[in-house]
Amino acid sequence: MSARNWGTELDLSWISKIQVNQPAVLRRAEQIQTRRTVKKEWQAAWLLKAVTFIDLTTLSGDDTSSNVQRLCYKAKYPIREDLLKALNMHDKGITTAAVCVYPARVSDAVKALKTAGCTIPVASVATGFPAGQTHLKTRLEEIRLAVEDGATEIDVVINRTLVLTGQWEALYDEIRQFRKACGEAHLKTILATGELASLTNVYKASMIAMMAGSDFIKTSTGKETVNATFPVAIVMLRAIRDFFWKTGNKIGFKPAGGIRSAKDSLAWLSLIKEELGDEWLTPELFRIGASTLLSDIERQIYHHVTGRYAAYHDLAMC
Amino acid sequence: MAATRARPSAREIFATLEYGPVPESHACALAWLDTQDRRLGHYVSGKWLKPEHRNSVPCQDPITGESLASCLQAQAEDVVAAVEVAGKAFENWSGLPGASRAQHLIRLAKMIQKHQRLLWTLESLVTGRAVREIRDKDVPLAQQLLQYHAVQACTQEEVLAGWEPMGVVGLILSPTFSFLEMMWRICPALAVGCTVVVLVPPASPTPLLLAQLAGELGSFPGILNVISGPASLGPVLASQPRVQKVAFCGAVEGGLRLLIQESVWDETMRRLQERMARLRAGRGLDGAVDMGARGAAAHDLAQRYVREARSEGAQVFQAGDVPSDSPFFPPTLVSDLLPASPCSQAEVPWPVVAASRFRTAKEALAMANRTPRGGSASVWSERLGQALELGYGLQVGTVWINAHGLRNSEVPTGGCKESGSSWHGGLDGLYEYLRPSGTPGRLAYFSESMNYDTFGLAVPSTLPAGPEIGPSPTAPYGLFIGGRFQAPGARSSRPIQDSQGKLHSYVAEGGAKDIRGAVEAAHQATPGWVSQSPGARASLLWALASALERRESALASRLERHGVEFKAAKVEVELSVRQLRAWGARAQAQGHVLQVAELKGPVLRLREPLGVLAIVCPDEWPLLAFVSLLAAALAHGNSVVLVPSGACPIPALEVCQDMATLLPAGLVNVVTGDRDHLTRCLALHQDIQALWYFGSAQGSQFVEWASAGNLKPVWVNRGCPRAWDQEAKGAGPELGLRAARTKALWLPMGD
Repeated sequence: MSARNWGTELDLSWISKIQVNQPAVLRRAEQIQTRRTVKKEWQAAWLLKAVTFIDLTTLSGDDTSSNVQRLCYKAKYPIREDLLKALNMHDKGITTAAVCVYPARVSDAVKALKTAGCTIPVASVATGFPAGQTHLKTRLEEIRLAVEDGATEIDVVINRTLVLTGQWEALYDEIRQFRKACGEAHLKTILATGELASLTNVYKASMIAMMAGSDFIKTSTGKETVNATFPVAIVMLRAIRDFFWKTGNKIGFKPAGGIRSAKDSLAWLSLIKEELGDEWLTPELFRIGASTLLSDIERQIYHHVTGRYAAYHDLAMC
Repeated sequence: MAATRARPSAREIFATLEYGPVPESHACALAWLDTQDRRLGHYVSGKWLKPEHRNSVPCQDPITGESLASCLQAQAEDVVAAVEVAGKAFENWSGLPGASRAQHLIRLAKMIQKHQRLLWTLESLVTGRAVREIRDKDVPLAQQLLQYHAVQACTQEEVLAGWEPMGVVGLILSPTFSFLEMMWRICPALAVGCTVVVLVPPASPTPLLLAQLAGELGSFPGILNVISGPASLGPVLASQPRVQKVAFCGAVEGGLRLLIQESVWDETMRRLQERMARLRAGRGLDGAVDMGARGAAAHDLAQRYVREARSEGAQVFQAGDVPSDSPFFPPTLVSDLLPASPCSQAEVPWPVVAASRFRTAKEALAMANRTPRGGSASVWSERLGQALELGYGLQVGTVWINAHGLRNSEVPTGGCKESGSSWHGGLDGLYEYLRPSGTPGRLAYFSESMNYDTFGLAVPSTLPAGPEIGPSPTAPYGLFIGGRFQAPGARSSRPIQDSQGKLHSYVAEGGAKDIRGAVEAAHQATPGWVSQSPGARASLLWALASALERRESALASRLERHGVEFKAAKVEVELSVRQLRAWGARAQAQGHVLQVAELKGPVLRLREPLGVLAIVCPDEWPLLAFVSLLAAALAHGNSVVLVPSGACPIPALEVCQDMATLLPAGLVNVVTGDRDHLTRCLALHQDIQALWYFGSAQGSQFVEWASAGNLKPVWVNRGCPRAWDQEAKGAGPELGLRAARTKALWLPMGD
């Protein structure tokens, strides 16, 4: 991952005057999905690139060490070897960017990846995921334990109450403490934008999270009713750009939840390319949180290589 | 260039993550051209016409220069034949019940839906515009237009009772137009029962395709006829006696002028440049480009402008992923142009944006309004109060608040000043092709021999005309300007005879200087009157009505003197009083809110005053016509300069005596004198926003010709008298339509 974001002092003037023009954002979001498409070789290359951005995720109540192990194996071998060979991409070491699990499954994942002999980072959700409605003390403890178990990336959820009641200083302080609890681990802050009521709040929460030292800002937990949407993403990306212009720090972006099709992933890539530029198209600055997306990408690659649509049994499950 | 480079492998693209070509197959467009053997004629009466011995013009791909087809050029006789066909079709089509016309339009909408790929690839292929724009915006809107107007046709008998279709409509398209502009005009025309002859510039196949789609519906083949020919055929089409209305369609949207407040200038420019740098230009048929190209002429125009701007000291920023060869031109941001430089005055060409700074919103408004154009504008501000004030103040037809370029078939679009005064879409668009039932159609009066240089130039001199046996009290004398009676600049008078040919009295002989003074006075009164509430306007009109009532016997006897029977004279006064009251009441019901699909938030349809309105009143009904015209104009917030009846101006001057005490000074100005001369002065005055002329056919022709100087809206009667005592023709809705202009104010909402 890129250099850590050490954050800045809280400067409320960065957010006090902000007013997001929602209808305009909606229109831009609508346009961007139809204006950029890629076909043929471009599509295959872009899809493989998308694979390298995936935080391959399992966040279910019934996760056990066996399906976490399977997930880790899939993270290391995301696309069938023969398909990669056909594209002359087999020697590129294509893996997903990370695996993402619940805190209690971190040690399983770390072990499985070690056995498989790869260095894919393990990310853990924390801080009372997904609602964040637990005491600060236990939330901080959760981070520390996940880091102890070997997670090098921590996806924390913010306290929505603080956003909805406009307590920006308190929000800054909390995330600051998360940051500290992470130690060397990277901090990815989930804004749960589906519960923030307005795009203006999304912008403000993004800015506070970055000032407080988040290395990534992430749209949603995947458990809210509204997940990663384009309008929300545009607002967060503009906040990332503003933060970069103000401080020179590049903060990463991670949409999560509801990104299931290969086509969706291409739209997300072009959104990043259009709004932030090619520099952001690296796993250090862009991730996609997804569980089923990978199989659809593999399906599309299969089709690109063979000219046929894959049968269910042609591709490994993850 | 992409074409000469070997195709990169997935491995290479994986490293660069560049965009690749996304070619849209245009095989169907070529196949369609093949059905005509790549030789396009005209589409008239449901059939392709390919007359012999006609010149042909090549239709080229504007990007590759490849020849796609050749297009036959019509001659005058082809135009005449097409008008003939449309005229015949009109008899059937206009006689149909609205519901049947609606059915037919719906069928056409479905036809377009079935062949939409052909439509969008053909249009993109021949115009070079981005296919995405045509596919995602134009084609759906074309269908929506047909559907909306089908609904209007269906309710026409009810909603538009008292109006009838004009007849054959001639539509003349400019060399760079989009087929959508044609749809905005033909849909309302067809819906209300008109039939259309479209003259398209050389090498524009899309309108021909549309005509073919309409023709292949089987029934009513002659309602939409398309002929392709040079611009010189425009006058031929316009002068056909059967053509009752001529509509023009200007060029596609040009570049933009951007006004940015000084305090956010740097920030805005930075964001703008950042965004522009990501724009992609390329072949229109590529599915992933933001902009195509509009041919070599557009390229050269933009290049000239940018070169000129640079030499005038402007900053030029160009960016984007754009092929380096003509006809592609990069999106360009020109800034720091000095207001006095020629480039600031010139129209900004596509794809250029000229940005300049302002200090206060008031200054921005003044800058925005100081241009002869008045099509559309957008206001970006998070302060709703400020945005609305600007939206109301901008002299344009459409204002978008925090949005740009939205269009919907229900919302009238049009313009003011040199952007023209006709309307498309909504109810306003329908009235363009209707006239009050029973009023005569457009007469084909057009005098070739008319001498525009001398019409009304000289005023015959007047001499004492015998004994003045005036009634007592004597008639008021003078020009009513700025709220009081003034002596005319020429210091001479003209005699007014009564019905027996005896001298009734003298009226002042007004001239150019008096007109200038009257217009100035009217302009001074305008802001005050515009800011009055409709209620306040109504009460003044009602007060004037009461004053007229008190003056009834004097007015009636003046009319009697001019040969009006006593009873009829009394009726005329009574009707005049009623007109004032009626328009006073109507002043309060202006504009309304539209709710359109695809937009969260309202669209306000505002009715705004035209400004200074000049009216040359008819000779018939000297009091009633004067009062009706005056009342309608005032009710809508205009200030007026009137030339009263030539033969019988005294009743109007009597009314002025009351206006002197009741109305703000300068709001109404009445200038008597030689009507031709005064008409000439008014028509050639650039600072009059609209001119209504009720007089001779010759005068009408002159007014239309002269007003082209600033494209002010004119309304002329071509020498046909109106029945001013009848609601529909005299006082009815037509006056209300003409007395104000529409503005659509889009207010998207959301947080």
